[in-house]
Amino acid sequence: MDSVFSQVCVLGSSLVLIFGLTLLWRRSVTAYITAFQWQSIVLSGLTAVVAYFGGDHELYLAAGALAALKAVVIPRLLRRMEHRFAAARELQPYVNTPTSLVIAGLLVLFGYAITRPLVALSQLPTRAGMPLAMGLVLVSLFVVISRKKALTQVVGFLMLENGLALLAVLGTYGIPLIVELGVFLDVLMGFLVMQIFMYQIHETFESIDIEQLNRLRH
Amino acid sequence: MSTFLWLLGPPLIGALLAAAVRPYRPFVGWTNALLSLLSVGAAVALWGHILAGDVLTSGPREFLRADALSTLLAFCVSVVGALAAWLGPGLGGPDDYSGPQARRFRIFGNLFTFTMLFAVTTNNVGFMWIAIEATTITSAMLIPLHVTKASVEASWKYILIGSIGIALAFGGTVLGYFDFVHLAGRHELTLNWTVLIALAPRLHPPVIQLAFVFILIGYGTKAGLAPMHTWLPDAHSEAPAPLSAMMSGVLLAVALYAVIRWEVVVNAAVGTRFTDSLFLLLGVLSIFVAAFSLVVQRNYKRMLAYSSIEHTGLICVGLALGPLGTFAAMLHLLNHALAKSMMFFLAGRVLHRYRTTEIDGVSGLLTTMPWTGGLFAAGMLAVIGLPPFGLFISEFALFRAGFAAGRPWLMGLVLALLAVAFISMLGHTNRMLYGAPAAGTAVGEGSAWPLVPLGMCMAALVVLGLTVPAPLDTLLQRIVEIAGR
Repeated sequence: MDSVFSQVCVLGSSLVLIFGLTLLWRRSVTAYITAFQWQSIVLSGLTAVVAYFGGDHELYLAAGALAALKAVVIPRLLRRMEHRFAAARELQPYVNTPTSLVIAGLLVLFGYAITRPLVALSQLPTRAGMPLAMGLVLVSLFVVISRKKALTQVVGFLMLENGLALLAVLGTYGIPLIVELGVFLDVLMGFLVMQIFMYQIHETFESIDIEQLNRLRH
Repeated sequence: MSTFLWLLGPPLIGALLAAAVRPYRPFVGWTNALLSLLSVGAAVALWGHILAGDVLTSGPREFLRADALSTLLAFCVSVVGALAAWLGPGLGGPDDYSGPQARRFRIFGNLFTFTMLFAVTTNNVGFMWIAIEATTITSAMLIPLHVTKASVEASWKYILIGSIGIALAFGGTVLGYFDFVHLAGRHELTLNWTVLIALAPRLHPPVIQLAFVFILIGYGTKAGLAPMHTWLPDAHSEAPAPLSAMMSGVLLAVALYAVIRWEVVVNAAVGTRFTDSLFLLLGVLSIFVAAFSLVVQRNYKRMLAYSSIEHTGLICVGLALGPLGTFAAMLHLLNHALAKSMMFFLAGRVLHRYRTTEIDGVSGLLTTMPWTGGLFAAGMLAVIGLPPFGLFISEFALFRAGFAAGRPWLMGLVLALLAVAFISMLGHTNRMLYGAPAAGTAVGEGSAWPLVPLGMCMAALVVLGLTVPAPLDTLLQRIVEIAGR
C-alpha cells in the first residue's frame, strides 16, 4: 500500500510543480489563473490522499478549506479583477522565457540539494515529494521577482503559499489544524488587501504595470 | 489571566468601537486613548511579575506566556501604541484627516497594536507567525490613508515584499516543526516555544539550520534587515506619522523578537556560532547600506527610516556578541523604540507645517516652531548616539561587548560606518534647523499639547542616558538568561 501511496505523492507533487512552471512560458493572465486553480485542486486532492493513508481526520478539514479558498473563492476574485483591468497579457518580463526555464530547472535542482537532510531524516512514505515542494517555493519566488504585472506577482505569491502548504503536508502530514486555519484566514485577508491595493493602483496609475511604480527611489 | 486581558483587551475594544460607530465621532478616539493607558498599565504589571521572579502564563496549554523578553516587547509596544492613540488623528483637534480616515486609523491602528501585543505574548510559534503576518495586513491598510501615487506604490511594495518574507518565515516554521515531529511525534504542544526549547538539544543540526535560514530571511524582511529592506524606506516615508512611529519604533522590534525566539532554540541545538555569524553578516550589511544611503538622503522621513535600518542592524550585531552584547542590544531596542517613535511624530508636525518631506524644503525650523525644532534637534542627537541620551549608553555597552568578545576589527568597521551616518544626519538636520524660513510659512507651534507626551519620551531618554534603573536592569538580566547563552 505504501508504495502506491508514495507514488501518488510524487505524481501529485510533480503536477503541482508543473502548474507552477506554467507561469514561465504562458503570457496570458487567464492562463495563470487557471494554472493556479488546477494547482490548488491537485494540492487539495493530495492533502485528502495523505489524510486517507495517514489516517489523520483533521487533514480532511484542511483539504476542504484549501479547496474552498484556493480553488473556488480566490480564482473567482482573480478573474473578476482580470476582467475589470482587461489586462490580458503579461508584458515582456525582465527575464525571457528560455532563460527563465533554465533558471527554474536550476532552482528545482537547488531545491533537491537543500532538502536532502529532510529526506534523509524522514521515514514517511511522502518524503520523496518534498524536494518538488521546495522547488515550487523557489520557482514562485523567481516569478514574483521577474514579472511586471501586479496580478502576475499575486499569482506567484499564491503559488509560493501552495508550495509551503505542500511541504507541510508531505513533511509532517500538516501542521496542527488550529494553526492551519489561522494561516488560511491570514492568506484570505492578505489577498483581499492586495486586491484593494490593486484597485488603487489601477485607479491612480490607470494601469497595473509595476514598472510605473518607480517614484520612490533612494 | 486578567493581566493578559488588560493588555490585549483595550486595543481590541478600541478597534471594535471604531468599527461600530459610524460616522466617526471624536469620543471614539478619546476612549481609545484612555484605553491605551490600560495596556501600558498591564505591561507594567507583567514587569512587576518578572521582578518578583515568576513567569505569568494563561489559557489552555500555556497559550499565553510572558517571560522577561515578552515583557520588554509588550512594554515597548503598549507605550508606542499609547503615543499613537493620543497623537493620532480623530481627537477633534485640527488635523489633516477626514472623519472616515480617522475611523480607518482607529480601526486598523488598534488591530495593529493588538496583533503586535499578541505576537509577543503567545507561547505558540505558529500563532506568533499568524500574528506577525496579521501585522503586515493591518499596517498596510493604513499606509495609503491619503491616496497618492507615492503612497499607493509604497503600500504595494510593502504588502508584496512583507507577505513573501513572512511566507518564507512560515516555511522555516514548518521545517522546524518537521524536525520536532520526527523527534517527539505529532503532538498538540509541539509548536509551543517552551516545549521546543526543552527538546532543542536533541534536534538534527542540518534541518534546524535550514529552518533558521528561512526564518531569519523571512522575519528579517519585516525587521528591515538588508538586503531585504527595500520596502522599509518607502513605507516609513509615505505612511502617516503615527503609523511610521509604530512601524519604526516597535514593528521592527517585534519581527526581531520572533527571530530571537528561534535563535534560542537553534543555539540550544547547534551552539551559538551558526546564528552569531548570520547575525553579524546581516547586521553589518544593514548598517553599511543604511550609512551610505543616509549620505545621499534628500527626504527627512526617509532619513529617519534608514536610521531605523541602521539601528536594527546594530541590535542584530549586539545579539551576536554574547551575554553583554545581548544586554546592550535589548537596552538599545528600548531606547530606539522611544527615540524613533518620537522623531516620527515630530517629523509629522514638521510635514504638517511645511507641506513637504524634502530636506531642502524645510529651513528655519527653530524659528518657526521653536519647541518642535528643539525637540527634533535633541532627538536627532539622541538617534546618532550622543550623550546624555539612552542610545549613547546602549551603543557604548555594545561596543564594549564587542571588544570583550575579541572582535576589535569588526567593531572598528561598525564604528566607522556609524561615523558616516553621524556626519550625514547631522548635516541634513542642520540645514533644516537654521536659515530663513520660506516666505509665508506660519510661525508658532499651532497645537502645543502633543509636545507634552513627546517631551516625556525625551525625558525618559535622558534618564536612560544617565542611569539604567534597577527594575530595567533586572528585566534585562532576565532576558540575558533566556537569550544570551
